Amino acid sequence: MDQSKQEEEYGYDLFPERKTGNKTGKSIAQSLFTFNHKCQVMLQFATETSPYAKLLLSAMKSSGCKVLKERHFSCEDCDGTVSGGFDADSSQIVLCQNNIHQQSHMNRVVTHELIHAFDHCRAHVDWFNNFRHLACSEIRAANLSGDCSFSNEVSRFNFGLKQHHQECVRGRALRSILAVRKISREEAVKIVDEVFHTCFNDHEPFGRIPHGKKDAGFAYRDYENRDRYYANL
Amino acid sequence: MDRSGEAAWRPPRSCDDYWSEFRHCKSLRNCFHHYYTYGTSPSCKQWKEDYHNCKEWEKHRGAEAKDALQKSERNRVAEQRNFTPVWELRRDPPRDWHMPLNQEKPQDS
Repeated sequence: MDQSKQEEEYGYDLFPERKTGNKTGKSIAQSLFTFNHKCQVMLQFATETSPYAKLLLSAMKSSGCKVLKERHFSCEDCDGTVSGGFDADSSQIVLCQNNIHQQSHMNRVVTHELIHAFDHCRAHVDWFNNFRHLACSEIRAANLSGDCSFSNEVSRFNFGLKQHHQECVRGRALRSILAVRKISREEAVKIVDEVFHTCFNDHEPFGRIPHGKKDAGFAYRDYENRDRYYANL
Repeated sequence: MDRSGEAAWRPPRSCDDYWSEFRHCKSLRNCFHHYYTYGTSPSCKQWKEDYHNCKEWEKHRGAEAKDALQKSERNRVAEQRNFTPVWELRRDPPRDWHMPLNQEKPQDS
C-alpha cells in the first residue's frame, strides 16, 4: 500500500512527527523552554498523582506491559485540535504538546490513551482493520477517563443531565473514529450502536465508572486489595 | 478435613472499606453522578448490609455473615462481567511492547 495513503487511512497525518525521518534533534535551550519540556513535566506529574493513571499503570504492569516513560510516551506537535493518540505499531502514547496546556487536561489525555494501551495489552485488538474493536476502545476511553464528566461537558457548552454521560460517550467515540478512519458517519454510528452496551459496561481495570478523583481513588484501593479480595470470594 | 483454609478466611474487604463505600454511595455528589450516567438514583443498601455482616463476622465469626458477604461480592463480580467481549483476550502481552523503537518488528501476533 502507498505509504501516504496508509498514513491518511489510519490517521497518521494528524501526527506529522510520526512520519519517517521527521524526528529532529533539539538544543538544550529548546528542550527547557518549549512545549516539549512543559509536556514532559505535566506527564510526570500526571503519572505520579492521578489515581486514574496510577491504577492503569499498575494494571498494565500486572498484565506484562510495564510502561516506561521514555519508551512508551512521546510528546510531539500534532495537527488540528487532537490531544493525543495511541500508536499500536510502535506501542507508544502520543501526547500533543502544542494542544495540552493544563494539568487537568494532561491527566485526562494520559488516562484516555492508557486505556487504549491497556486494551492493546490485554486483548487482540485489531486497531487497523476491525472498526468494532476501535469503537469499543474509544467507548471505554470516553467512558472511563473523565472525558464525559458533567463539568467537562458544560465547558464544551453541552448541557445535559439525565443519562447525558452516555450520550457524550457515544458522541466522542464517534468523533474519534471519524477523525482517524475514512468511513461514513452512518456506518460509524451503526458500529458504535452495535458495540455500545458491551463496551460501556466493560469497566476494566477500574471495576466502576470513575466519576471523579474520589471514585478513582476507591478503584485504586480496590485494585491494590485485589489479592485479598479474590482469595476470599 | 482441612480447617486451615476456613480459619484463614476474612472478608474480601476490610469493614472500614464497606463503610466508606456506603458513605460515598450516599453522598450528594455520587447521587448526582449516578443520575447523570444512568438516569436513576443509586442503590446503596447493599454496602450497608455488607458492612453489618462484616462487623458481625468480626465479632462472632458466624457462617451466616460469611456466606452473605461472599454472595454479595460474587454478585458484584458477576455484574461487572455481564457482557460478551467484542475481542479475544490475550494469553500473553504483545511481543513488541518492550522492543526498542528502531528495531524491525515481527508480523503482528
